[in-house]
Amino acid sequence: MGHKNIPLPERRRLRSKMYKKHNLANILTHWFNVGMWLLLLPTGIAILSSPRLGLSPLWMQEMFRNVFGGTANLIRFHYTVGLLWIFVLVFNILVGFRRYFVPFAATRLLLDQDDIEWLKTKPLQMLGFMKDKELPPQDAYNAGQKLYMYVVIFGTIGIMVSGVVMTFNQVFPPLLKQIAQPVHWVSVFSIVAGLIIHVYMGAVFPEEKEAFFSMFSGKVSAWYARAHHEKWYNEKLREEMAWEDLVRQELARSAEQHAQEQPATAD
Amino acid sequence: MANKTLSRRDFLKVGGAAGGAMLLGSFVAPPIAQAARRLGSLDANGDGYIPTMCEMCVWRCGVLAKVEGGRIVKLEGNPEHPHSRGRLCARGQSGLMNTYDPDRVLKPLVRVGQRGEGKFRTASWDEALDIVADNMLKIKQNYGPEAMVFSSTHNLSQVQFENLLNGFGSPNYGTQRSLCFNAMVTAFSLTYGVEEPARNYDEVEFILLVGRNLTEAISTSETAELVEAISRGAKLVYLDPRYTKTAAKASEWIPIRPGTDAAFLLAMIHVIVSEELADCEFVKKYVLGCDDIVEAMQPYTPQWAETITGVPASTIDRIAREFAAAKHKALAHPGWRTSNFINSFQTERAIATLNALSGNVLTPGGCLAAESPEAASIGLGKPPQPPYPRISALRLDGVPWKYPLVPLKLGVFQELRDAILSGQPYQAHGWLVARQNPVLSLPDRARTLQAISKLDFLVTVDIIMNDTSWYSDVVLPEASYLERYDPLHIVDRKIYLRQPVVEPQGEARSALWIYKQLGERLGLGDFFQYEDEEDYIRQQLAPLNLDFNELRIKGYLDPGVAQEEREIVFNTPSGKIEVYSETLGKAGFSPWPTWEDPVYPRPGEFYLLTGKVAQHTQFGTQNNQLLHKYQDEPRLWLHPEPAASLGLKDWDVVEVTSQVGSVKVPVKITQAIRPDCVYLTPGYGHASKGLRTAYQVGANASDLHVTYTDPISGGQALSQTFVTIKKA
Amino acid sequence: MKRKNHYAFVIDVARCIDCRACQVACSVENHVPMENTRIWVQDLGVQGEFPNLQHIFVPYNCMHCEHPPCTEVCVSGATYKDKDTGLVLVDQDACIGCGYCVDACPYNVRYLDKKRGVVDKCNACAQRLEVGLEPACVATCIGGSRLFGDLNDPVSKASVALQNARNIVRLDYEANGHDTDPNIYYINLPNMEQLNMPELFQPLVSQSGALPRAPKYTLSEQGWKHVAVPLLAAGIGASFLVQAIYFTKQLIEGEKEFEE
Repeated sequence: MGHKNIPLPERRRLRSKMYKKHNLANILTHWFNVGMWLLLLPTGIAILSSPRLGLSPLWMQEMFRNVFGGTANLIRFHYTVGLLWIFVLVFNILVGFRRYFVPFAATRLLLDQDDIEWLKTKPLQMLGFMKDKELPPQDAYNAGQKLYMYVVIFGTIGIMVSGVVMTFNQVFPPLLKQIAQPVHWVSVFSIVAGLIIHVYMGAVFPEEKEAFFSMFSGKVSAWYARAHHEKWYNEKLREEMAWEDLVRQELARSAEQHAQEQPATAD
Repeated sequence: MANKTLSRRDFLKVGGAAGGAMLLGSFVAPPIAQAARRLGSLDANGDGYIPTMCEMCVWRCGVLAKVEGGRIVKLEGNPEHPHSRGRLCARGQSGLMNTYDPDRVLKPLVRVGQRGEGKFRTASWDEALDIVADNMLKIKQNYGPEAMVFSSTHNLSQVQFENLLNGFGSPNYGTQRSLCFNAMVTAFSLTYGVEEPARNYDEVEFILLVGRNLTEAISTSETAELVEAISRGAKLVYLDPRYTKTAAKASEWIPIRPGTDAAFLLAMIHVIVSEELADCEFVKKYVLGCDDIVEAMQPYTPQWAETITGVPASTIDRIAREFAAAKHKALAHPGWRTSNFINSFQTERAIATLNALSGNVLTPGGCLAAESPEAASIGLGKPPQPPYPRISALRLDGVPWKYPLVPLKLGVFQELRDAILSGQPYQAHGWLVARQNPVLSLPDRARTLQAISKLDFLVTVDIIMNDTSWYSDVVLPEASYLERYDPLHIVDRKIYLRQPVVEPQGEARSALWIYKQLGERLGLGDFFQYEDEEDYIRQQLAPLNLDFNELRIKGYLDPGVAQEEREIVFNTPSGKIEVYSETLGKAGFSPWPTWEDPVYPRPGEFYLLTGKVAQHTQFGTQNNQLLHKYQDEPRLWLHPEPAASLGLKDWDVVEVTSQVGSVKVPVKITQAIRPDCVYLTPGYGHASKGLRTAYQVGANASDLHVTYTDPISGGQALSQTFVTIKKA
Repeated sequence: MKRKNHYAFVIDVARCIDCRACQVACSVENHVPMENTRIWVQDLGVQGEFPNLQHIFVPYNCMHCEHPPCTEVCVSGATYKDKDTGLVLVDQDACIGCGYCVDACPYNVRYLDKKRGVVDKCNACAQRLEVGLEPACVATCIGGSRLFGDLNDPVSKASVALQNARNIVRLDYEANGHDTDPNIYYINLPNMEQLNMPELFQPLVSQSGALPRAPKYTLSEQGWKHVAVPLLAAGIGASFLVQAIYFTKQLIEGEKEFEE
């Protein structure tokens, strides 16, 4: 069923019909995360002063050190924000573990056959091949997003653990602190590598504009869902149909009841 | 009872007291800090510098103690003090660790177990002092005052310790002197009438050090002056069987055979006098015996000396000429610890003679002064005291009835120990040891312990549980040198002060306080007529009309006593430098410096040499953690040649055996020692478990040392012990 | 660019008597833990055959190099070369004690302070310099072997000593693209012609070989530099590329999806 050949009235209907994709907890956590990353990433890069790495330009190092009043204060800021970030994230996950995290992990994170097919096709399409091949239908998150989700989850764990090791430097042995540093930045930059696409897709790419606004409203249009996350859309439809069936049954039952009661009163 | 567990009630009491003290402390600074703030040495936070005086050795450098909030954080050499000139040696720098030693004795201790078991209970000062006084009085009553032995080592409070012993009426006084410098002091007293002449390196061109290891046996200012002189280009000839760090700085190291220094020096004198190289004018004017000296020195040719010392005659001849050519800018150093051989006294006499011949005494630019730096009398006061009781008993150390020429104040410590053991001429019953560790420092430790076992009562005054305290019946905790006053000290006509810079740890008290308390309990209160330590010093300053507070602020005072211009008169019977000494002749000894053949080891035996390392002072600093940190592992030095024949590798543990004892110690195989000698740094091998840092580190040389006494000076001959070595 | 000060140690080897007052003074002044030291007196051992012997002592501590390999590996810049004084310092508040710099120092002068979990080393007693005092080791040096001063000042003790020196040796590490250019100047070495300093200069811990040694880099530091950095650069580059392609495409093709 082609997405482009839908008649206009149906399109309008689909555009105005909204599905809830994100709950409030998700939305808040996401934007909290954005804020923390905005604070942590630049300060973190500014801390990296080793000329052997050459990752951080000198002017940036100096600017941040001057703004924060020295290396120590810059680092203090970085790890204080980092600890707050860790605390909130861990707290959220623990509090919402059964209600949000487990279902989320179970229904939205696992890769299925379609996802693998998608992964085989999409990169090639992006490079301009197999233009005409239809992409397999996708879940609430597409396979690329799912894959990136794994990077984010393991990266975040890596950042947190190594960050804690480096923050509480009195407690941990030097070897651990030596290892913690590459772990920290490898994690950060793995996430950053995906983040560039994530931010671009979310904030700039016109097709995904709905996704961006959904991070505020929590909702996407049926149109968008149908186009990008067909499986999820279908599931939503099924849910809806099941609900309609339920309503119909209910109505039928109440009509029947009404019918039985009617004669009695008529007597 | 030493490891008695605190009951809960005790704990509450302690906690309550501490809490109260803390509460009080937040409003009222403790007395020493309070006084220092009043004087301006400390600021309102209790931070600042307080001038005082070092006691890590006997050189007594000036110290500026940096205090922060009631704690000493750093010691600096006082630039105003002629001994430190802004510098402190490793020991001086480590001094605060002496005060903060975790093994400090902080309360009076009374023994509860067997002697040497190390079981003590704490006691109040009153109780501990009563026990000591009771025992001393009992001994006095039963056996006479002479049955009580007193001993102490070189310190500023010694004058009051001597009051205690003289007032008590005992003639038996043991000091470290006979283990150390008896030969030097006796020889120079007899020759110059000066115990220890001062050295002057300002213009020195030729320095002869006879075993004086100045860069390891550091006297801060003198060591600095020596290095300065060497850097300036002065020639240093160094005699020592061991290549010490002084040898490393010497122009010429002569690894002379132990015990033959005198032969070398006599041959030098022979060359100088027979060739008439001496400063004739000076010699004729001031030296007694210069007419006959050529004849007296006739036998001591360099060729003769070569056979004895192993040093080529040509070398001796050359050195003698170089020494003479430097005239009054030559210095033959008197040495310090000169307790090496029975003939060490003659070595010292030869050194005294060499200096006299060079004319370096009292000559402008001369290198030897006719007085010691501390000799100038400034006229300090002293608390009034009655005359001492007459003492008729013989001295146990044999002075003067056995050793007629040993100065009374020097004594013969090792003989005193032997007399306690033998009970001859009478039995001693008690021993009061102050700031001294005879168990470790006297030769033949086994014998010292036996002597102690014959005593009814042994009491020690010290800051830590040293080996002697370990065997004591009562241990009285003294305040460390940074926590107490001591009587004033004079250097170069100025008065220097040791004053407390922090409050004493625990219940530690100054020696001046302890001796006074003890004296009063012994009925000798008249010998201790001072209120407290400050009063004692005020009485010392009174005749000079000097301000005590100024002294406390500056750490020193200059009473403005000018150096007298006076005719040179030496304090000898003739008033001259007595190279020829009638006093010696009358006592039945050679009036001239002479050669006495020492004993030599048998084949297979080694000379056991002892010496100094720059990180420790004798037997007292090994428990200092900072010094422990930077010391070398104590090992037995051995030349590779005998090591090879004994099949020994570096770090092998060897058993070293002498006539009296045996120790196990790792060996250090080095070219830096004669093949017929071994060397062990003394002061290690502590047996007291109360010294957790020093306990059983290294081996103790006094386990091996055989007791030999020089009949003239009374000095112990420490290098006269011969040992055999085998792999352990 | 000339610095305000060019602090340097000048050590008169002929005057060192290995008394170790400097070491104790340093330990006390800087509260160095009992198991660590910031300053060494290297005993070159008794050389020669009895009785023709020679014994030389070489004090050393941080050389405050002009081009220190230690600061290069410090990730956070906790260890740095001070812009005004030229001293190589450690900002303990910024240091996490990973020890990259400990391995990188060719002179083995850095240590990990276990209790505080940071790296420490000689700071030339910067706290004393501030109040006009000499470093503790220099102030107390009995033989006057240790000197410290500003080489920019021609009359400082260090400058004067260098001008009057019989000979001057530095333990420069010059290999593998490094030139440490150290700021400890050894002067007045006896028998210079017989001495090969770097060969004789055995470190205190004998198993780690002669000093100066090549800077060592830990596996994690190496891995980070040689593997992770290129990989991540590639990854970030690739993702940037992807978004650039899309963006370009979008510009060319227009927002046709949204036309209604």
